[in-house]
Amino acid sequence: MKKYAFYPGCAPKGAAIESYISAKTVMDKLGIDYTEPVSFSCCGAGNVEEVKPYVALGINARNLAIAEKEERDIITICSTCYLELKKAKKQLTENERLKEEMNEILSETGLRYEGKVEVKLLHQVILDEYEEKISSMVTNKLKNLKVYPFYGCHTIRPRDIIGYDDPENPSSLERLIKLLGATPVSGARRILCCGFHASFSASEIAMKLTGLNLKEAHDMDADCVITPCPLCHLNMDANQKKALNTIKSQFIMPVLHVQQLIGLAIGLSPEEVALQKNVIPALYIV
Amino acid sequence: MAEAKKVILRISRFNPEFDEKPHFQDFEIEIPKGMTVLEALYFIKENIDPTLTFRGFCRSAICGSCSVKVNGHPKLACKTQIWQEIERFGTNILKIEPLGNMKVIRDLAVDFSEAEEKLKKVKPYLIPDPEVIPDTNDEESIVYPEEMEKFDKFTDCILCGTCYSMCPAVMFIDDYAGPFQFGRIFRFAEDPRDGLKKERSKIAYAFELWKCIRCERCADICPKHIHPVEAVTHLRAMSIEKGLTLNPGARHAIAFYKSVTSTGMLNEAILPIMSKGIKGVLENMPVALSFLLKGKMPPPIVKPIEDIEGFKKVVSLSAEVE
Repeated sequence: MKKYAFYPGCAPKGAAIESYISAKTVMDKLGIDYTEPVSFSCCGAGNVEEVKPYVALGINARNLAIAEKEERDIITICSTCYLELKKAKKQLTENERLKEEMNEILSETGLRYEGKVEVKLLHQVILDEYEEKISSMVTNKLKNLKVYPFYGCHTIRPRDIIGYDDPENPSSLERLIKLLGATPVSGARRILCCGFHASFSASEIAMKLTGLNLKEAHDMDADCVITPCPLCHLNMDANQKKALNTIKSQFIMPVLHVQQLIGLAIGLSPEEVALQKNVIPALYIV
Repeated sequence: MAEAKKVILRISRFNPEFDEKPHFQDFEIEIPKGMTVLEALYFIKENIDPTLTFRGFCRSAICGSCSVKVNGHPKLACKTQIWQEIERFGTNILKIEPLGNMKVIRDLAVDFSEAEEKLKKVKPYLIPDPEVIPDTNDEESIVYPEEMEKFDKFTDCILCGTCYSMCPAVMFIDDYAGPFQFGRIFRFAEDPRDGLKKERSKIAYAFELWKCIRCERCADICPKHIHPVEAVTHLRAMSIEKGLTLNPGARHAIAFYKSVTSTGMLNEAILPIMSKGIKGVLENMPVALSFLLKGKMPPPIVKPIEDIEGFKKVVSLSAEVE
């Protein structure tokens, strides 16, 4: 099994703390070999880039170099961190001059980036390396659960940066849901945007998109939604009422982080995956 | 003989003389391996239904006229092979529809004029800089490779409209310019021969630059791999440099930047007030209360990461990279 440097991202250390708690308990239970480097910084989430593009590249080159120094790949639970880290990796791979320039900067802090480190999302690592182990651990708890997989933009797009799963018809979450003993209910909107990154600049659009996505899950009779992205989770869980108001609809749709569902399926208690910290009541589904 | 499969092309039909709204018509045809969507459309037109209307000129993925939606995703019909799509979706039915965000004229042909008008408004042409471009044709106006590198890929745009057709901001905001339009603004903003240069970011700003939701769909589906969203990002940085910051989006980006570069981590708690002032706090109050009840309120003070000095050195040196 590979060794990983755990990169939780900012939201899972703050407003989406249940995402961080559940990721750690799941990784521990599965025996994933990980460390959590304390010098990792925020990836910038695309916002730093909007002020100074090369600062975003610099800080992510630094994050990649930190993992590389520990001879570990990066495992993350945030789709936007996933995109930002992979974007930096691509820029550095495709532009030797830029890579050397960044390495000169990094050398001032005792770091160097060669390009060896891979960046993966937790569910990707689990499907690629722990599928067999998971299936041996799955209890029958989720047998009757219908789960709507919401991918989140940066989990799948753009394909020339992400390079995992098919952005037009992804299947990794469906595969995972089946592996956990539940039933996937997949709608066309599962690959669309929740609008999170326009929460301040175009909040009404963000809420409308989130509302429409939730409605599709509801219309398809899903018991809950799962997402690998803590930012999509914020919009669909914490902002659910507001989002549904924009489309003049009201219902309750539990939204779980992917690792919360994994944890429940492999015998962790709802408390161990911090289900009580989700804003929309979710405990009742199990 | 080439391998062939029976495929149903479920094509959106609309004739404004007779139809109130579009409807689907199925055509079941033998599709040899390698056949494109455009070739299949021509086959139907020539052999089954001559009234089928679509556009398709160069057949070489360079004119951009044949864009349609294939199973919901905008693509160049001439570049899209039917067998590959069938395998992708695990079905022998391919739904072919006109592009979104545009009015349908007939069947698969859409009215491009709104997108075109928006393009015209953003001045999509070189405005010569008299200090750079010589007065006569006797001298060349040179663009060096390292200058060209910055905007080169944006010169590849074929105006096919695929990015525009699925952009959620275009869908909901009338004044939003659109992905390829921002790509064109950026292309000239970086061109050293242009008279306006980074001032062009003001044009982008006026056309709702901060309403892009960064869904990355335009970057993903562009048949020329141009990534219009990158143009948006760079134009945002340019507009901030030009002092255009009286906008919640710009203020959000600046607050984010300041928070991250000072501690290495984002301070989520300060974002609402920094981005939208008191209005932001009030808008976010219900969510903040729910977080408080769940015991997960982000702390107002963030502890700096380890090796913050090294991090800050990387930030300050990276800020000087051109």
